[in-house]
Amino acid sequence: MADVVRVAIRSDADIVMVRQQARVLARELGFSTSDLTLIATALSELARNIVEYAHGGEIILSRIKEGDRCGFVIIARDNGPGIADVERAMQDGYSTGTGLGLGLPGTKRLMDEFEITSGIGQGTTVRVTKWVR
Amino acid sequence: MIDDTKQDAERALMREMGITEREIARRRAFLEFGDEDIKELMSIHALAEQYADPVIEAFYQHLLSFEETRSFFQDPKLLERVKRSQKDYFRRLTQGEYDKAYIEDRLKVGAVHERIGLPVKSYLGMYSFYLRTVAGRLFEAYQDAPERALRASRSLMKVIFLDIGLAIDTYISRREQLIRKQQEAMRELPTPVLQVRERLLVLPIVGLLESYRARQLTEQLLNSISATRAKVAIMDITGVPIVDSKVANHLLQTVSAARLMGATVILTGLSPQIAQALVAIGVDLSQVQTTVDLQSGLEEAERLLGYRLVPVAVRTSADQAQL
Amino acid sequence: MKAPILKQGPYLIASLQPELTDTDLLQLQEALVEQVGRFRSRGIILDVTTLDVMDSFATRTLRNIAQAVGLRGAEAVIVGIRPEVAFAMVQLGLDLRLSGVQTTLDLEEALAILDRQHKELGRRG
Repeated sequence: MADVVRVAIRSDADIVMVRQQARVLARELGFSTSDLTLIATALSELARNIVEYAHGGEIILSRIKEGDRCGFVIIARDNGPGIADVERAMQDGYSTGTGLGLGLPGTKRLMDEFEITSGIGQGTTVRVTKWVR
Repeated sequence: MIDDTKQDAERALMREMGITEREIARRRAFLEFGDEDIKELMSIHALAEQYADPVIEAFYQHLLSFEETRSFFQDPKLLERVKRSQKDYFRRLTQGEYDKAYIEDRLKVGAVHERIGLPVKSYLGMYSFYLRTVAGRLFEAYQDAPERALRASRSLMKVIFLDIGLAIDTYISRREQLIRKQQEAMRELPTPVLQVRERLLVLPIVGLLESYRARQLTEQLLNSISATRAKVAIMDITGVPIVDSKVANHLLQTVSAARLMGATVILTGLSPQIAQALVAIGVDLSQVQTTVDLQSGLEEAERLLGYRLVPVAVRTSADQAQL
Repeated sequence: MKAPILKQGPYLIASLQPELTDTDLLQLQEALVEQVGRFRSRGIILDVTTLDVMDSFATRTLRNIAQAVGLRGAEAVIVGIRPEVAFAMVQLGLDLRLSGVQTTLDLEEALAILDRQHKELGRRG
């Protein structure tokens, strides 16, 4: 099984698909059931953001090894409108009006590492990592 | 290749203890240990070489004459080894190089003594003996120039205090390591989840509830609810010493997660202080059922589950006759 | 992919699968609200036992379903949220979205609750 998988995200059907891919890829690393669920949930949120706000993008799933620890990395990239105020988006309770907002602070809580770059007209890239405990 | 690993090993203690070159520079500045002092020390280096052996011998004679310190140097091989490295140690005091290698070496010596269990007081006593003896020899050697002896002994004192600081740091660092290990061991202790009735669980939580343990607790509780089909879980926090807003949030999250699985959590054991503290912080516990102690919690749980405790009927005289 | 809806007496039982897309969920919502009216159901059971993920959309939709059928006279109960799913939900803060909806571990429990509530309503009526 390849260590890196790229999935194009265009519609909600792709959200389900990328989740399934992630499960297969991450399971072999030895994550607990809890952690697999956290990964799948974070992935779902990130994929949904791409569908809802950017109308298309891609997600790159990869398994990495650093020293003696293994990890799973999700990179969610899109060329959408970008987030005007990333700081505000990272605060709990921020919403763009559709109810639950971007779920970014929550996603950060689910994973071990979280990085986001975004700008108006520059699209958004979110990179999250979970390490096997 | 070998050199690289040796250098790595040498820097290991400095890195482990977080002592940077900047920190060393700060300490030297504080002790006012500068180039003048280094010159002084180097100027008495030859003299130091001369009296190294007799001073060390007298030094260990002193140590072995006290029961407390004798016990650490019972093994003759260990004693030889220590004497040799002590001679090196004292020689280095005046050789003029006070760089990273010097620091690392001092830390190592401290670590060795700590490892064999030598108490700090004995270690400091050793330095005291050395200073006294050497000062004596210096004044002897420079009888005609006492100011020189004074200058030299002042510089010597500075470098020795630098060393003492480092030695004490290794002692403290080892202690802190031990404490950290013990704390980790305690963290690993999971909270037991006890089934006391059909569909009723009790979790006696003891100790500090920080993020890691709180997550563990929540996972355990949720898995237990699933496994035992529990409808009520009592979380007793009598044994939780600190309940601040972080802990309160962990507890609230646990309660909420349990509710998603159809189970009610009853929180028991909030002391009057904690209850008032939580109100003061403004934590919203309105959605959580709480009772003052475990007993009332159990009674409430039983009520929720539809149990009713009925005392066993008193034996009638007719029953007695049958016996 | 369609989520099956079973009729069990006065109740409807919908089983959600992990392969359901957002579109499928919205279709389920429509179907349930319509059928509650058609069959005059008094309660619906949303079985999520096989779901390994409940994200913000799924949570929102379930809440909407509960509210919508509530307006049409039916109680909703969510059944079978898995331990690790419940855990992930509280990390994301999704538990609060479901604060008004009843949840149970299994089907038996859910039916008991719906029966009990129906009886109470009957008594009051």
